[in-house]
Amino acid sequence: MSIMSHRARVMPWRTLRFNESVCNPYNADFDGDEMNLHVPQTQEARTEALMLMGVENNLCTPKNGEILVASTQDFLTSSFLITRKDTFYDRAAFSLLCSYMGDGMDHIDLPTPTIIKPIELWTGKQLFSVLVRPNAQMRVFLNFTVLEKNYSKSSETMCPNDGFVYFRNSELLSGQLGKATLGNGNKDGLFSVLLRDYNTHAATTCMNRLAKLSARWIGNHGFSIGIDDVQPGYLLNKQKKARIDEGYDACDELIQSFNNGNLKLQPGCDAAQTLEAEITGVLNKIRETTAKVCMEELHWRNSPLIMSQCGSKGSPINISQMIACVGQQSVGGRRAPNGFIDRSLPHFPRKSKMPAAKGFVANSFYTGLTATEFFFHTMGGREGLVDTAVKTADTGYMSRRLIKALEDLSIHYDDTVRSASGGVVQFLYGDDGMDPAKMEGKSGVPLNLERLYLKVKATCPARAQGSLSPSEVFKIVEEKLARHDAASAGGCSDAFKKSLLDFMCTKMKDFCRTKSALQLDEEYIENANPNILVKVAANIFGITSQQLQVFLDICTSRYDSKRIEAGMAIGAVGAQSIGEPGTQMTLKTFHFAGVASMNVTLGVPRIKEIINGAKKISTPIITAILECHSDVKSARIVKGCVEKTTLGEVAKSMKIVMTSRQASIVITLDMEGIHALHLKISAYSVKQSILQHSKIKSMMKHHSIEVLDDRKLRILPSDSDKRKLQFELHTLRATLPNVIVKGIPTVERAVINKEGEKYNLLVEGTDMRAVMGTPGVDGCQTKSNNIIEVKETLGIEAARKCIISEIQYTMASHGMSIDIRHMMLLADLMTYKGEVLGITRFGIQKMKESVLMLASFEKTADHLFNASFNGRDDKIEGVSECIIMGIPMQIGTGILKVKQSVKQELKLNYGLDPIIS
Amino acid sequence: MVELLFEDIFTLIRIDPDGKKFDKVSRIEAQSEQFDMYMQLDVNSEIYPLQVGEKFAMVLAPTLNLDGTPDTGFYTQGQRKSLADKFEYVMHGKLYKLSEEGSGINVKVEIYASFGGLLMMLKGDPSNAAKFELDQRLFLLMRKV
Repeated sequence: MSIMSHRARVMPWRTLRFNESVCNPYNADFDGDEMNLHVPQTQEARTEALMLMGVENNLCTPKNGEILVASTQDFLTSSFLITRKDTFYDRAAFSLLCSYMGDGMDHIDLPTPTIIKPIELWTGKQLFSVLVRPNAQMRVFLNFTVLEKNYSKSSETMCPNDGFVYFRNSELLSGQLGKATLGNGNKDGLFSVLLRDYNTHAATTCMNRLAKLSARWIGNHGFSIGIDDVQPGYLLNKQKKARIDEGYDACDELIQSFNNGNLKLQPGCDAAQTLEAEITGVLNKIRETTAKVCMEELHWRNSPLIMSQCGSKGSPINISQMIACVGQQSVGGRRAPNGFIDRSLPHFPRKSKMPAAKGFVANSFYTGLTATEFFFHTMGGREGLVDTAVKTADTGYMSRRLIKALEDLSIHYDDTVRSASGGVVQFLYGDDGMDPAKMEGKSGVPLNLERLYLKVKATCPARAQGSLSPSEVFKIVEEKLARHDAASAGGCSDAFKKSLLDFMCTKMKDFCRTKSALQLDEEYIENANPNILVKVAANIFGITSQQLQVFLDICTSRYDSKRIEAGMAIGAVGAQSIGEPGTQMTLKTFHFAGVASMNVTLGVPRIKEIINGAKKISTPIITAILECHSDVKSARIVKGCVEKTTLGEVAKSMKIVMTSRQASIVITLDMEGIHALHLKISAYSVKQSILQHSKIKSMMKHHSIEVLDDRKLRILPSDSDKRKLQFELHTLRATLPNVIVKGIPTVERAVINKEGEKYNLLVEGTDMRAVMGTPGVDGCQTKSNNIIEVKETLGIEAARKCIISEIQYTMASHGMSIDIRHMMLLADLMTYKGEVLGITRFGIQKMKESVLMLASFEKTADHLFNASFNGRDDKIEGVSECIIMGIPMQIGTGILKVKQSVKQELKLNYGLDPIIS
Repeated sequence: MVELLFEDIFTLIRIDPDGKKFDKVSRIEAQSEQFDMYMQLDVNSEIYPLQVGEKFAMVLAPTLNLDGTPDTGFYTQGQRKSLADKFEYVMHGKLYKLSEEGSGINVKVEIYASFGGLLMMLKGDPSNAAKFELDQRLFLLMRKV
């Protein structure tokens, strides 16, 4: 969406301008950005530009169907201030504001003032009702609810912070509008709903009106920031000092106990790691609590506070850094490292672990940083800069490879996704053939049933009609679905039908609950006895047959309109959708997976691993579900079986025994320890393990092992060469502690993780097959994040699933939502040849045949020489080849070849007619 | 004659139960005498200040016309005789939600209305909710007694 088609109006002067709302898709700001204009030269080009690249037709991003062209910055701020509960306007002011939004040219029906007596006053919320629906002729009935950032998590509309936005029939009933309602990145916001329920025109005109209103309003109202906005109050200073002292004391205590050696260890950590983790926790808490105090202390007129609340710019962290406390600076995910011997800077004593010595900045930007604090801050700052610089190159290359691999995939008229040469990658795009750009619900479901239901109930009033009983409702729903399946081409997907039925089920449950609460049971309703309570119940949750019909009609018809169009270059779209978020992934490379001390690679490096189809990944983790997941003890037993145990760990002693007749090594096992850890190890099993050890195996040809009793064994060396005996014994003695007596050799360690009430086992390492086969592990549910290993253990379908879930997990942990259909396509492309192909030059070589395409990717000369030597031919089907040859490609509008029978032109005979024919 | 939807005398219990969030608007909690209804209401405290312990009469009416002709939904100017003449504070809004709380004998019905963003929640016995309907236009009239 970096190239879009606008309708231009030629104006004086030499700059171009556009509505601020389209800054988002262009990623434009005004720090010196330049843009280029192209003017299409033919009618055909003009039409295509208008239809395919027109701004109105690209309000939503195909990445996930969220709206991208939406209000930003000042528009949000002014809307937030206008809709505050205590903004009131008298007749003159309200009329003036009404005329702002349509340049004074719109017909506007003035609503009844909210307060009629003692004086007429209109509220700011009424202004927004006018903005959405200026006059009665306009048939736009907006119905939706949104939770804003400051919603108090309870009491819905009565939220004391006014954070629950409720539009009902184009009237703003409650809620202060902010980014969630007006901004981009939300599927249930005002503009998204206008776009989905009505059309692009409704959304764009509304955006335009809002832009005009808020620009003019904020011009009059004024909005600026001054030094008094960042001056902390007396109370805040006191609170902050108390918090910091508290935190410092806590840290001192921790350090003290660390030095004394009585620090309580965290699972899977040594003392130093535990100390770091605990101190980091304490210091982060200082920042958080001071930030909280700071946000509470600020006056509501504070400009930074307003901006962060409405979401136009800045976060609470930014504010508290300015006013209260900058907080801990980190480099590479830990506290500032030691640049000098045993200390970060020469200002501090050696080996100091104090907060200040390790980069904690207690000052705020307002009070000013001390010299050392400033230095630590620059360390953190530089890391950020370096990281962005490095990441751009990485993600750029990743995007290029993705595009090269996916560029020629498109939807065909039989709903399949095919490559240019006709190879089928998916039989039905995304398993349901829906267009990701048009998905309304969260996590890529076609419709947001909850909102539609609300809309239908609000727009079709029940009037005198009685409400239906649950059994009637289900009859109608099933009838309608069956009819729709028979009538339309594809019908609905099973998943959609199920979601619809489930939804009606929950609604009917609510209805029944209300009725039972009001002491009305089934039979009573069917008598249709006019009663007060019946009416009340109907008002609360009932649905009439007309409402239900309308609801189902909207659902099915809208579902049909959301199918993806044939010809769509879905491969390129998918590649962009996965590549683009990479550029936004920040620093946070590592992340805790449930358990502290257990890290998983995330961010760009992880995406790179997945896409490359890397054989060795940096943090392979197998998640083993236990058969008995409620008991820690059984989890510990399984852990013991999985984690590798060496002989050195379980042996009480390993001695070289020399007697006058023979020399031997006697191993005594620590049976108490073995029993305490629930390990099933005995001298017999140890004997087997020793015999299997690769290094000893060769030596053992000559030795023999004797089991003395349950806990003792003796190794007798061969008596072939007495001179070497001493040497042999010592080598053996040195090797023996490393013999693995229990567990899987490739497993680094296993950690018991508690998820909710259930325990599972996180295994760091490889060999999924062995983990699945371990007694006590539920093999059917065991997962791994190592794609290649999954492919080898469970097969190609499991690998596909694994690719999808891994990309999804990585993206989700960075707070990015991408439609699952894109990831499915990528996973299908990587696996459709029957093996996991990485999106690298080797993988792409196996996916594509075209020489020109491969030559335009990497190793140009090699491919060209090889092709000419082997006499290869190229059919010029794919995108790259067509561009190279300069002919239209078979994608998008180019998928059609119009064959037209042209009437033969009349042949003119020049010269005389023949005499005899 | 205009048919009133609800009429009662309330005693103000608390002001701003969740802390004062807005300069000119206060949320009041009140309990009625006759029907034992509980009410939360946002009031413009700048033009109609209220104190804890004060009693006021509150009326909900579908129209301000004395003859009972329904409200058009659009505002007409002019100083006609109306129901508002007898009251000090009059607001106009819309009923947007009905819901129930509890079950059995202590079941309560909650009636929610929004007066241009100033919200009202009226909780009480279901029998009092009979005249209310979703999307009904409401006039709230108040007078101190």
